[in-house]
Amino acid sequence: MITHPAVRGADSELVSASLTEPEAFAELFDRYSAMLYRYVAKRLGPDHAEDLVGETFLIAFSRRRSYDLIYTDARPWLFGILTKLVSRHHRKEAARYRALLRAPVDSAVESPADRVAAGVSAQAVRADLAGALAALPAKDRDVLLLIAWGDLTYEEVAQALGIPVGTVRSRLNRGRRKVRAALGDTNPVEEE
Amino acid sequence: MDDLKLLHDLGAQLEHQPPPTLVRQRERLLDGSRRRRAPHGRIAGWWAAGLVAVATAFAVAVPVVLVAGGRDRNPAVVATEPADMSGALNVLLVGSDTREGEGNAEYGPRMADAGARADTIWIAHLPADRTTVTVVSVPRDSIVRIPRCGSSPARTDLINSAYRTGGLTCLRTTLEELTGLRLNHAVEVDFSGFKEVVDALGGVTVTLPLPVNDRAAKLKLPAGTSHLNGEEALGYVRLRRYGDGSDVARIKRQYTLVRAMLRKARSTLDDPGTLKAALTAVRSSVRTDLSVESMYQLATELSRARFTPTTVPWQPHPDDPNRLVWKQPDADRLFAGLR
Repeated sequence: MITHPAVRGADSELVSASLTEPEAFAELFDRYSAMLYRYVAKRLGPDHAEDLVGETFLIAFSRRRSYDLIYTDARPWLFGILTKLVSRHHRKEAARYRALLRAPVDSAVESPADRVAAGVSAQAVRADLAGALAALPAKDRDVLLLIAWGDLTYEEVAQALGIPVGTVRSRLNRGRRKVRAALGDTNPVEEE
Repeated sequence: MDDLKLLHDLGAQLEHQPPPTLVRQRERLLDGSRRRRAPHGRIAGWWAAGLVAVATAFAVAVPVVLVAGGRDRNPAVVATEPADMSGALNVLLVGSDTREGEGNAEYGPRMADAGARADTIWIAHLPADRTTVTVVSVPRDSIVRIPRCGSSPARTDLINSAYRTGGLTCLRTTLEELTGLRLNHAVEVDFSGFKEVVDALGGVTVTLPLPVNDRAAKLKLPAGTSHLNGEEALGYVRLRRYGDGSDVARIKRQYTLVRAMLRKARSTLDDPGTLKAALTAVRSSVRTDLSVESMYQLATELSRARFTPTTVPWQPHPDDPNRLVWKQPDADRLFAGLR
């Protein structure tokens, strides 16, 4: 690196520095590529994740001049770009969730007894969740998964998708209602 | 159990750790960034750079011509309260390619959001006897140490970024620290004013060996002598696909145009109205801390000076062949000679 890394705290500073020094953008990759990879691998599987992460950064780079430097955190911006790319693969995503309806659970559980009990219920829960995700409208699924899998806040999701926070809330509520319905709405604690 | 928690757990089960091959995507980004920089940063900026050089030269040349032409004919610019302009002086000249405002947008839609950049950075050294003017051109791709200015922290970066983030003040401070020179004055030229200057002069006359029909430069001219308005003059200096198409040939055309402008300026000395309009156009495209009186006085003193152009000694940056660093001790020696 040519420039002192120490002076570059915020993501926005990196974006700004990359205007004159394109290589600075690679530091954003170093910060967030693993996070974006994990997120997209959950939604589409590992086969496409790598390419989509690369694509996300190329698009981000080409649009870096329009980045609003008010936002010091670039994650919502990157997740927003990635979300658009994921939407091109909605059939693949739905197929992935449908495959989960059948696949066995291989999570590690302590005792053999637990294994049977946990395995059965986890399998059942997983099938319900996967079915609900596959059935959700894309817009609701984007919001729900950016929060559950991308660990974004409501405000960050709003920024990522370019929609008002109120819309984020209503989509999230709609998505969660459907997920709960798929789970059988069995847990009274969950009633709001 | 909370549905979000269940979803989160499902996500954890579906998680894959990034493979080492992800680094290939980083290389793809770096390749992409290098490829993309060429047309936008380098080539597109090139003609602007030449244009700025022309505008800068003109901004400096017009007062010289006025003075050389006869001081008594120009009551408008006669010095009233001469500032102290004696002794050796160093003047920072910056040609910027800000393309803000409607007049400029049509020439660079791709760069409309690029902000102000210093395309030409010159340090003009005027010794006390004013017999010579040494103009040191500072390559804009120089990686230098930029001191803290305003809210921007000290850093090592492109010299251009000092101007882009901190404006003329920051660029001036940066250069003063780098060169050890005191930069007494600064002149900033916006190349957009070029067109207006030509129009104010009533156009310029150039002679072309070949006809021009270039859509990129929006210019269509026959071979031989043509009279160009501001718009056409701008197209002429932008012209790339003409003759052997080289940058050297284009720089020659730019100097040709400057000479044509100077000729025209001299011929209008008897016409105060035209002169005043041209001067006003020059003035509006130039921002400086020099008063009109001081400029006039300098122009008087410099009218017979010899111009010596030079460039800061440089070498390619060790980490990036697209950047450069000042070559030491040569650069220090050059500036030491100007102190």
